[in-house]
Amino acid sequence: MKVALQNLTKIFPSRDKKAGKEVVAVNDFTFDIPDGKLIGLLGPSGCGKSTTLYMISGLQKPTSGKIFFGEDDVTELSTENRGIGLVFQNYALYPHMTVKQNILFPLQNLKGADKMSKEAMLERAEWAARLVQIDDLMDRKPSEMSGGQQQRVAIARALVKMPRVLLLDEPLSNLDARLRLQTREEIRRIQRETGITTIFVTHDQEEAMSISDMIVVMKLGVVQQIGEPQEVYDNPTNLFVAKFLGTPPINVFSGKVSGGKLYIGQDAVLEIAGVSDQEVTVGVRPEGFELAEDGKLHCQLSNVEVMGRDVSIVSTNEASLNPMIRSIINADNKVDLANKVVSYNVKPHKLFLFNKETEERIPFEVK
Amino acid sequence: MAKNENTVMHERNIQSISTKQNYAKTFVKIGVYAFLMLMALIVLFPFYWMISSSLKSLSEYKLNVPTLWPKTIVLRNYAEAFTTANLGRLFANTAYVGIVSTLLSLVITVLSAFAFARLEFKGKNAMFAALLATMMIPGELFTITNYATINEFGWMNTFKVLIFPFLVSVFYIYLLRQNFMQIPNELYLAAKVDGCPDLKYLWKVMIPLALPTLISITILKMMGAWNSYVWPNLVANKKELQMITNGLRNSFTDAAGSVNYPVQMAAVAIVSAPLFLVFVFLRKYIMSGVSRSGIKG
Amino acid sequence: MVDSKHQWKAWLYLSPAIVLLLVFTVWPIINTVRMAFMDGYNGLAIIGGAEFEFGIANFQRVLGLSSFKNSLYNTMLLCVLTVPISTLLALLIAVALNSIKWLQKGLQTIFFLPYVTNSIAIGMVFAAMFNIVGNMGTDGNDIIITAGIINNILGVFGIEPINWINAGSAYWANITVMVVYIVWNALPFKILVLLGGLQSINKQYYEAAKVDSTPRWRVFTRITVPLLSPMIAYVVITGFIGGFKEYSSIVGIFGEDMGPAGAPGRLNTIVGYIYDALPKMNYGVASAAALILFGIIFVVTMINMQVSKKRVHY
Repeated sequence: MKVALQNLTKIFPSRDKKAGKEVVAVNDFTFDIPDGKLIGLLGPSGCGKSTTLYMISGLQKPTSGKIFFGEDDVTELSTENRGIGLVFQNYALYPHMTVKQNILFPLQNLKGADKMSKEAMLERAEWAARLVQIDDLMDRKPSEMSGGQQQRVAIARALVKMPRVLLLDEPLSNLDARLRLQTREEIRRIQRETGITTIFVTHDQEEAMSISDMIVVMKLGVVQQIGEPQEVYDNPTNLFVAKFLGTPPINVFSGKVSGGKLYIGQDAVLEIAGVSDQEVTVGVRPEGFELAEDGKLHCQLSNVEVMGRDVSIVSTNEASLNPMIRSIINADNKVDLANKVVSYNVKPHKLFLFNKETEERIPFEVK
Repeated sequence: MAKNENTVMHERNIQSISTKQNYAKTFVKIGVYAFLMLMALIVLFPFYWMISSSLKSLSEYKLNVPTLWPKTIVLRNYAEAFTTANLGRLFANTAYVGIVSTLLSLVITVLSAFAFARLEFKGKNAMFAALLATMMIPGELFTITNYATINEFGWMNTFKVLIFPFLVSVFYIYLLRQNFMQIPNELYLAAKVDGCPDLKYLWKVMIPLALPTLISITILKMMGAWNSYVWPNLVANKKELQMITNGLRNSFTDAAGSVNYPVQMAAVAIVSAPLFLVFVFLRKYIMSGVSRSGIKG
Repeated sequence: MVDSKHQWKAWLYLSPAIVLLLVFTVWPIINTVRMAFMDGYNGLAIIGGAEFEFGIANFQRVLGLSSFKNSLYNTMLLCVLTVPISTLLALLIAVALNSIKWLQKGLQTIFFLPYVTNSIAIGMVFAAMFNIVGNMGTDGNDIIITAGIINNILGVFGIEPINWINAGSAYWANITVMVVYIVWNALPFKILVLLGGLQSINKQYYEAAKVDSTPRWRVFTRITVPLLSPMIAYVVITGFIGGFKEYSSIVGIFGEDMGPAGAPGRLNTIVGYIYDALPKMNYGVASAAALILFGIIFVVTMINMQVSKKRVHY
């Protein structure tokens, strides 16, 4: 099922009627979600990603704009009639029902052409349970299970009726690190197996990048960028997106373009074309540094963290807008901590220029 | 199970679902309001009938097709009710018993709750548990022996018998103790350090902080006196001692068949009026006490 | 903190409560049990120096009396009728109230109104509403002047006037009136508790149910009722306890005679039976009846709790 959002806007009236301002939670969101893809809505808290999800589910009504499932306008359609599955952040498993009853519950509500026989329901429930690997826990109650198990029951409950669209609200936020890795792979696998168009919300960029076909980066209700994860990572449209994606985060410097050269502090790091002389903000991915004796960017070395395959070099530079610069280089390169200064060359495709005021990306060519 | 059996849900006719959905929503909403309005009407009807009847003349009350509202309003019913049922005397009796027992009860409850909440003494927990256990026993079980006891004391037909036997309420002690416990113990210790005596601390700190609960107790206790019927009827049924509810019930049962209903309804309205006032102005105190207890009055 | 000074202070503060509780609560518990097991114990006879045999004769006597059996039957019948009806109605009203926004506060106030009434006084209003004004032709010269407002309302639906509470009225009619009044009286507390319970249910369960396209009725039976079951159990248990002590609502409608004119005592209850025994100082019998009442309440509460344990979820 293709899902299309057209100029979707949600405005919450202010809580304090006299003084407060109304809050624009989602502002003019337009996006055609292709059929059968896994889409990650990504952004810091308060960016409107959950509100978008809840509008797609029908639990919240948009202030303006339209939502289409396939060719059908479902904007006014109530949740019950949308045929979606939703995994809540806190799972919302019915506490008085066993796992089996929880999973069967949506099937028992099906009507019309979707109606199933008792045997078919049981079979389907067992299929869903196997899919999320909880088929041995069918007679437990939610309170007798771990967070990760509850999570999987919630996914099974949302999936079991084979919804036209599957929505997940911060599905991994309550899990510990190891379970989180494992579960996100499972979500990816299940989505591939079923081919259901899936939209999930997260504030964890790594999570979104690792399993999504496409990601949508949002900030304060406004969509910043939509695209395949690698594409967005390699080509951020603005400083916010560049900063939000990637671990360790991008290194940001204040710089200057002058006479076809890009300066970070006093160091001319690149010769570029297509940019008029101006002050700029420079972003360099941690993997965008190359150690070189005659490197053009000079930083004060403070620490080296060994991470096995790679090492992470921590240094400082006056022009850096962060307290520390972190670069990641192959562990074959030996760094002598006795050196006070470390010199880098910068890979041009890992370096981005942003307008100092608008923070929009400035394209440039390497000479 | 073969994969292809798990087909995604069927396509649906959004147009017809939308219309149906909107009809169903409106229909249910109308149904819910209709049900609530009907129930509210049933709940209110006795009050309406009481007031309407109390303002009718006897002949209008007896009309074959009853009037919904009196054609001529007869306020004299109220004056007559006052004298017939001797309501003045009943008011005075009830007020006396209510005020004295409420005051004494408050003092006893506050002191006991303070001891249970703040002081340490041997057997405190066991004693508190024993007190709570008595709450499970129906009050009727006490009544028999209490009836015998006050007979023994020679208290029959005195105000004492209306005040003392049910003065201590374990439930109120429990309620207030819980409230006292929520007040941080540091306040008490600080007061001790400053050399503040217990009673002064109780008066200056605990009571003001627990005031809402004390008001709840006061209201419930006063309402209890106002509504008490069974015990006074057993032990103090002399005219000079009668409580308001007893007086009301007994004034209109003497000559069945020839009851002047409008006057009776006027008397009922007079007796109900203070409760309505309490309800209107002090509802939140009653509700907060009620939802924790399950007892009436 | 535990020092001797505090010890005596604590006892001093507790002393008024302790004295009163000893005399009017603790002693009655002991004494009632004692009297219940002394055959024919009577307050007057003891002044005459009579001695009483120890045994269960009082219980046998009470259980053999048709007047007690009648009281027991009435009490149970009223309980069995009023508790389910009032609980179900209160549940429906609470759920309906919880589902609306407009007028919610106002309606809530109206539904709480019967709580702060005097059950004797409003009983008299109900009696007036069900009353037939004038006597229904037992004597030749009695004429029905008006059939009473309830009969008038029923007449609109084509129902013949019914003699609800007057002389010559049928037992089922009396019971019907009592059920109506007791339910009316019981609703506010139950609505208050159930509505409070409903409001504390996590809204997300309802959102999940919506996502699962659950029909309204199934939401009610499969989600609301189970999640509300602790509150429902509480309301049912307190309802039974209150129901077994039914007394003053009957006095409100039928007066001290506990029955329509010509059939006094017909609607007597266990509590009424106990009170009747007091002026005659038949303490032994009354105590036995009170212990039976306590036993019934205890057993019913236990059964309720057992059922709840199975039925009440989490």
